[in-house]
Amino acid sequence: MLKLFRRRKGLSCDQVLEVLQSYLDGEIDAGTANKVAAHLDECTDCDLEAGVYDRIRTSLAARVEPVDAGVMSSLESFGARLAAGDIPDSDPDET
Amino acid sequence: MVLLMERPQQATAFERYVVPEIDVLYRTARSLTRNNADAEDLVQDTMLRAYRAIDRFDGRYPRAWLLTIMRNANINRVRKKTPDLLDDPDATFERSAEFADHVDPEAVVVEPVFDAALETAFESLPDIFHEVVELVDVNGLAYAEAAEVLGVPVGTVMSRLHRARRRMRDHLAAAAADGDTVPFRQQRAALGGAGETEGAS
Repeated sequence: MLKLFRRRKGLSCDQVLEVLQSYLDGEIDAGTANKVAAHLDECTDCDLEAGVYDRIRTSLAARVEPVDAGVMSSLESFGARLAAGDIPDSDPDET
Repeated sequence: MVLLMERPQQATAFERYVVPEIDVLYRTARSLTRNNADAEDLVQDTMLRAYRAIDRFDGRYPRAWLLTIMRNANINRVRKKTPDLLDDPDATFERSAEFADHVDPEAVVVEPVFDAALETAFESLPDIFHEVVELVDVNGLAYAEAAEVLGVPVGTVMSRLHRARRRMRDHLAAAAADGDTVPFRQQRAALGGAGETEGAS
């Protein structure tokens, strides 16, 4: 009986898959995160699925390109001119 | 509370709140425009708007404030190029992005062709999926920050992001099925991952 109760307290694979990406992004509450972690410890299929998404995220993060130094310099100069009160004539819409 | 600032205060506030975010603004603009020249223009437009509005900024969450300004600047930029963008972009993808049940993780392609297959999958994503992946996964914005710059609820960011990743994941699975690539389970086992405890299946 106790075993059955414990099993019901845990998350099913479907429940884990539903929150898996938010879990990997650190965007779910600690209680749910603990339950997901416990499930992944015991479920090879879900753990493999988590590994796939983790690998996707890692690979995408590696795509980030450094901002070209010339562009940064140009934008910083633009900012410095604004701060100095040198406002361009163009009139963008109000925010 | 709205404070009217003298120019030196305005300049100080600008340097304090805006200048440190130029890097993030440019990366975000690049995600939105997918074009370096347009991105630079968008950041300049955002900075100009920020400068003009800085006396009304309360100093809290400058990045979120700037991303909101960038969103409005970008809306204006896009409208000038394509006037009719009133359709709900999410509706188009509702039926095609159903939640996948346990798709066999073993089928997903891995090294050394993983990155190449992922590149193809990423570049073939529809724009609304591509941009959210680029904002969150590539450029590291939080869900809430991406929501700010896209002008959508956080739940929409999450939904688009998760669908996009599932599409890429399914593309990787299809790539594995098409080629003689190493299944994920075997690769993970070779690396000492969870797969090593599984018997042949």
